[in-house]
Amino acid sequence: MFEVDIFTKKGFKDSRGEHVLSDILDIGIKGLKKIDYSPFYIIDGSINKSEVKMIASELLSDKITERFKVVSGVEDKKYKNSIIEVLYKKCVTDTVSESLVKAIKDLGITKDVKVKTGHKYYLHGNVSRDILNKIAIKLLANTLIQEYKVK
Amino acid sequence: MKNKISCTNCKTIEILNLSDKELVNFSDKNVLSLSIDEMKSIQFYFKKLKRNPTDVEIETIAQTWSEHCKHKTLTGIIEYTEEKHFKKTKKIYNNLLKETVFKATMELNKKWCLSVFKDNAGIIEFDAKNGVAFKVETHNHPSALEPYGGSATGIGGVIRDILGVGLGAKPLANTDVFCFGNLDTKNFQVPEGMHHPKRIAKGVVAGVRDYGNRMGIPTVNGAVYFDDGYMANPLVYCGTMGIIPKNKIDKKVNSGDLILVVGGKTGRDGIHGATFSSIQLDQESDISAVQIGNPIVEKKVLDTMLKARDLNLYRSVTDCGAGGLSSAIGELGEKTGVIVYLDKVPLKYEGLAPWEIWISEAQERMVLAVPQKNKKRIVELFNKENVEAVFIGEFTKDKKLMLKYNNYVVANMDMSFLHYGIPKPKKFAVCKVKEEKIQKFIKMTSTDLSKIFKSALSDLNVCSKECIIRQYDHEVQGQTIVKPLQGADIEVSGPGDAAVIFPYIAISGTKKGIVLSNGLNPSYGKINTYKMAASAIEESLRNAVAVGADLEKMSLLDNFCWGNPNNPETLGSLVRAAIACYDMSKAFDVPFISGKDSLHNEYSIGGKKYSIPPVLLISAMGVIENVANTVTMSLKNDGNKIFVLGVTRNEIAGSVFAKIKNIKDGIVPTVYPKESKEIMKRIYKAISNGLIECCHDCSEGGLAVAISEMAFAGDKGVEVDIDAIKTKGKLGVTEILFSESNGRFIVEVIPENESKFIEIFKGCVFAEVGCVREDKYVIFESLKNKIKIKEKSRNLLKVWQNAINL
Repeated sequence: MFEVDIFTKKGFKDSRGEHVLSDILDIGIKGLKKIDYSPFYIIDGSINKSEVKMIASELLSDKITERFKVVSGVEDKKYKNSIIEVLYKKCVTDTVSESLVKAIKDLGITKDVKVKTGHKYYLHGNVSRDILNKIAIKLLANTLIQEYKVK
Repeated sequence: MKNKISCTNCKTIEILNLSDKELVNFSDKNVLSLSIDEMKSIQFYFKKLKRNPTDVEIETIAQTWSEHCKHKTLTGIIEYTEEKHFKKTKKIYNNLLKETVFKATMELNKKWCLSVFKDNAGIIEFDAKNGVAFKVETHNHPSALEPYGGSATGIGGVIRDILGVGLGAKPLANTDVFCFGNLDTKNFQVPEGMHHPKRIAKGVVAGVRDYGNRMGIPTVNGAVYFDDGYMANPLVYCGTMGIIPKNKIDKKVNSGDLILVVGGKTGRDGIHGATFSSIQLDQESDISAVQIGNPIVEKKVLDTMLKARDLNLYRSVTDCGAGGLSSAIGELGEKTGVIVYLDKVPLKYEGLAPWEIWISEAQERMVLAVPQKNKKRIVELFNKENVEAVFIGEFTKDKKLMLKYNNYVVANMDMSFLHYGIPKPKKFAVCKVKEEKIQKFIKMTSTDLSKIFKSALSDLNVCSKECIIRQYDHEVQGQTIVKPLQGADIEVSGPGDAAVIFPYIAISGTKKGIVLSNGLNPSYGKINTYKMAASAIEESLRNAVAVGADLEKMSLLDNFCWGNPNNPETLGSLVRAAIACYDMSKAFDVPFISGKDSLHNEYSIGGKKYSIPPVLLISAMGVIENVANTVTMSLKNDGNKIFVLGVTRNEIAGSVFAKIKNIKDGIVPTVYPKESKEIMKRIYKAISNGLIECCHDCSEGGLAVAISEMAFAGDKGVEVDIDAIKTKGKLGVTEILFSESNGRFIVEVIPENESKFIEIFKGCVFAEVGCVREDKYVIFESLKNKIKIKEKSRNLLKVWQNAINL
């Protein structure tokens, strides 16, 4: 199993992160200076790291504005900032992952793979865990179809 | 026995010996939304069969008989009591829709109406070889729970309606109309478990944007309305218009035809979507009613299906919407009978019970009736385009619904019972027509009027929706010639009245266009639903006429969104709106061609029930003979004359002004069809003769708002003599500027065309009221009342533009 994280390169606008910060301010939460948004993909199957790197480079990231990181297993590194991670619940149709599975085959990788897509929000600033949960529930995850983790 | 029910893969449901109370409890517990009479009919039917139903059979009946699929309130019996001036009158409607909306269409009997109220969309004639189809749907409850997925599948669903009308129309344009709670609602005011209106609005807009844009269909027309009443129950209307060859409108199913499912796989998405739409929202509404859309799959289905249509590879088609395969196949096989092998349905994952496969509302699926001889060719065609296409059964001739799973029979019912066994419900409707009292004149100073004027421009229901409109691709396909935002350049724009599509790519060599517009006035409906409906109809027509449409080639769609019809007063207000539909359709000589209703728009907080303010959305579609004869709403040239057509009355109730000043009294704008129909016909003549430079309809906010929108959109100034505006009796300046009387237009005419223009409008009420100014000031002046409002056009633009930021 591999995790691919996509990041906006320095010097390029992270508009989703900016929007989320603006929404957080809108609901009256102060103390955060910046949000970095990063989509991520969990790819499982009999696939090797170089193939995952090719998928990340060719399908998942924009070579000009984005960079990617491939980690074996699931990323569990400690960060000094808080992270909210959002994933679909089981049985909820994940259309991006369906398209990705097809695109991986089109790329010439014929091995069977399973993909899950998710979103990570890196929050820069000082807020309590309760506030992080509030941000997740009010803005970032619809708990009807998604689950979230605060790290 | 071959056809004997076997329950290895399904459950037998014990209902034969249940009491009435137990039947009701069973329906509630299983989210079937069936009434006691309906449950008793089912019990009676299975008593005759001397067996209990299976879970597949019960679920099939619940889907087929759902409010969403059967519209049983509006087609049921309604005993209506109206109280007006202390007099009570009673009337029994055996089928409200047939006796109002549909009746008007039948009586008008327009030959150019090619298919009305019988297929997935209404179709009118475009030219000798083609028709144009239009459908508007609602997707309210799913959008309340999951705004992005709910609205995306709303637009995806209505696109499939167009793909499923006749043998399939090619979608050319989308429309969307939303009603949300106020965006500045405080967090503590939002009911527990519900999303904040801003989150709903953002999600809904993003869902429609992503699905519509990815399908390559332009979103060209719409509206957004804000009111606290929609806080926990937003309304999401999505519409699609498409073009279809006339020889592809008729469809039929023959016994022996094969059932082909194409498109998406089936999962647990949207289980109970059809029955769920008949239930009020509360904190515990669950996941299975949420569908997730995949526009890429639908786009491939669309493209391939139209190829198959042109190769005559199938005989009939319909989309999988509410109720899933159950509704789609049940509908197609109503006259023949069907046998379906549920284990052949492609699944997203293992573990689905037969009843789940049968009623799942998984998206992007179409069902086709394919003659045996085309079996190979049609599958090859879909496979070549990477679209899943699987035969799952056959149309029979025994008029039975037979479902099998792993060779076992899991359902075996008569089609006649399924489609006609539902008992006609009887409901009671009451309406006490409120007497409207004329509002006393409100005297204001120039300064106060100026403040109110700006408040009206920045009101959420008037201000620019650019932040939403710009997210949509309204140019894709390259056929949108009158666009949603209009003006001198990208920086300055005003709200277009209607969109015009010039389908020159779809129909080579044509000069004709298709106009799409809408009208809705929920604030009028809080006081008088008859006037709300009448005003919505007139507004939709006014909007279309303002860009150059011919009233004689217009058609209408109705979309009722109401509260709980079991409440007699709620149903009474709906009956009044339906009566208005009949009256206005006849008076304007414009037929309805399709419609939809979404009832039970209620939500419950802490045990207390809240109903939405009722809404009738009217969508209008017409054919324009020559797209060169269309105009926009922005002022064009300095020195041109400004005319106001129509009469201004003291009609403040329900207006934006009344909301700002918190005025509860007054007269709700009335429709005077004789007056406005005449003006609309002559506007068409004047635009066709090139005598009008720009035209704008006067609606929310009144004349001051409409005229200033024209000015800042054109980056011009304008000078208006308030005293010159024609009124009914003597009116104050406030009433003239902010009354929302129907039947009015503002037009710009070049001085050389003035006499010809006046000649055309002889006999109508109209007046020259001012001119376009080069100094870019918007001035409203009344010498009689010593009132002068003077504002920079660009400042007004900023006020209008900066009220919403989604």
